[in-house]
Amino acid sequence: MSAGYLRRATVDLAAYRANLSSLVERLAPVEVLAIVKADAYSNGIDVMVPEAVAAGVRWFGTVELAPALRLRRAGVALEASFFAWQLGPDDDYAGAVEHRVDLGVSTLEQLEAFADAARRAGSEALVHLTIDTGLHREGCLPADWAEFVSRAVALRDEGVVRLRGAFSHVSETSEADDHAASVVFRKALADAEGLGATFEKRHMSSSSAGMEHPERRFDMVRMGSNGYGIPVTEGVTASDRGLRPVLTLSACVVRVKRVPAGTGVSYDYTYRAERDTTLALVPIGYADGVSRRAQHGVEVTVRGRRYPIVGRVAMDQFLIDVGDDPIEVGDEVLLFGSGDGGELTIGEWAEATGTIPEEVSCRIGARVPRVYLGRRA
Amino acid sequence: MTQDAIITVDTAALRHNVGVLRAAVAPRAVMVVVKADAYGHGAVESAKAFVEAGADWLGVADLDEALALRRGGLTAPILAWLHAPGESFEAAAAHDITPAVSDVAQLEAAASAGVRAVHLCVDTGLSRNGAVEAEWPAFFRRAAELADRLPVEGLMSHLSNASPEEDGKQAAAFVRARGLLGDLGIDPELSHLAASAAGLSYSGTRFGLVRFGLAAYGISPFGGRTAAEWGLRPALTLSAPVTTIKRVPAGEGVSYGYLFRPERDTTIAVVPVGYADGVDRAASDRASVTIGRRTYRVRGRIAMNALVIDVGDDPVEVGDDVVLFGDPASGHQSAEDWATASGGIAYETVACLSGALTRRYL
Repeated sequence: MSAGYLRRATVDLAAYRANLSSLVERLAPVEVLAIVKADAYSNGIDVMVPEAVAAGVRWFGTVELAPALRLRRAGVALEASFFAWQLGPDDDYAGAVEHRVDLGVSTLEQLEAFADAARRAGSEALVHLTIDTGLHREGCLPADWAEFVSRAVALRDEGVVRLRGAFSHVSETSEADDHAASVVFRKALADAEGLGATFEKRHMSSSSAGMEHPERRFDMVRMGSNGYGIPVTEGVTASDRGLRPVLTLSACVVRVKRVPAGTGVSYDYTYRAERDTTLALVPIGYADGVSRRAQHGVEVTVRGRRYPIVGRVAMDQFLIDVGDDPIEVGDEVLLFGSGDGGELTIGEWAEATGTIPEEVSCRIGARVPRVYLGRRA
Repeated sequence: MTQDAIITVDTAALRHNVGVLRAAVAPRAVMVVVKADAYGHGAVESAKAFVEAGADWLGVADLDEALALRRGGLTAPILAWLHAPGESFEAAAAHDITPAVSDVAQLEAAASAGVRAVHLCVDTGLSRNGAVEAEWPAFFRRAAELADRLPVEGLMSHLSNASPEEDGKQAAAFVRARGLLGDLGIDPELSHLAASAAGLSYSGTRFGLVRFGLAAYGISPFGGRTAAEWGLRPALTLSAPVTTIKRVPAGEGVSYGYLFRPERDTTIAVVPVGYADGVDRAASDRASVTIGRRTYRVRGRIAMNALVIDVGDDPVEVGDDVVLFGDPASGHQSAEDWATASGGIAYETVACLSGALTRRYL
């Protein structure tokens, strides 16, 4: 038996930098905005942002304002722009003005509140006007667009608003729907120009559209999953795009036991050993982000070989059937990673558990220590 | 002044539940399990409430969780049963944490580290942790040899809940283990087999102590009976304010994949909570939420940081409080309802809630 650990998420910072550098290079002169929402997909925003800066990224998207303000107050990446667009009813507009956080505003109320904060501070609000091109979440509907833009132009002329951008989200439902959204976006931009607005950054595409449709890149592309090496386009793998998965989830075997044929395994005995076999206990469970939907034979990798999860995945642990192989306590179990060790990639893991890789990444729990590899020298 | 989703935990409900459970199994001792950040409720604050209400023991999976409780000021006895390979138990000894050990190697390490006492963990059928029956003689013999400096305070196992018959077989095996230990002159003060489900329903599985996890949080461990039928109250409410209201014409798509296209003109509200907060994406288009006394369906795909609800023609406003789940006695959806919507179990619904969410204690 070797000493080991219980569970671990290993984040390959060199891979993250390489992914972003390559995206920055491929998209130039279009700007790359790195999405670091949800604590950088749970990889740890405080660690990931400086790495992205080192890779040439100068724009970050946090969804909510609070994490952007927190990083600003901590003095992280002061040279970069932070962009948030999911605003609450009484959000901290004064903080956004003081710390120069870019906000995507969707309504006149938000625009006025942000401008008010700038007026009081004797400063300017960094505004992106959000256009709803069909997703129906944030964004100004086309019917209200002219009034919205006119007000923004007036506030710009007053000197309290800087028109930093105009942006939209697309639904990624189908090529036809996304094309329709891009038509709405272009029309909104043209209408805005007619009303006297010009924008420094126009942006509507995120990871996949940004790669596949150069004509929809405009001035900036928001890169989420590609940066983490998890392309979300169906049929496209990370290596097809020259990207490396950043995240590896692993645990160490804490118990092996020989059991006779017929032995019930884990809650409800949903699995019974068909013959005498060896079970290995893996100390990571659904509280750590291993979906219970992994219980029907999803495979993990030990010593380069694949073994199925058997029986129910519990809150803290699951069992694998290792047959007659000499698996020992302390052996490392790879749930998913780069694939280099024969393990599933995060995309394959997501598919096997009926979801998308972003959900797998984001739901890795707080009980799993993050270990960082490839820090800059 | 963030506008994020928030978890509100009613500590009075946690205390109430411990009272109910203590009464149900008296005069036996009660251990409340606070692993996985107290099933998403927040370990330290929840543990304090449980101890105040008379929990004799706190249970966690691993030593890191136990250490976090000690750092948080908890002084109650703590049992931890899932250990890393080669665990030295030095931290357990230093912080007065009681390990449950599953083999001779762990027993030896615990003795060398000088822990106060151990519980012996046996596998009576679940095939997870614990020594299997063939290993009991050697395991127990070594425990007896070490007993002078390492008292055996407890014997534990865990049930499969596969069926009353299977649980009965496990209880019989547990009795055999006790007998074997007795033959070696060890009579542990605390024998514990049953957790929430068996502890409430099969008195034959209750020994000196019963471990309660889910039930202590006011959530039913059974499909067929609600927590209220046991007199238990859910303590956790997940809520978030509406951030956007939008009128959508009939036939237009909503959220990623346009999974939802309303049949008639309607109003949708965006709620800033998503799968990164621990809300299962599988509940997309199936789960419901409440605003005040009214219930609304989640529509379209649940995204990383947002979901969309259909509020029809109701006068919902930005800032209105949306409850995803809470106490059904207050008209809210329950954690069990969300589990059903996502094809999972209520344990998951609460235990997978993000550690980054703000938790407020009442």
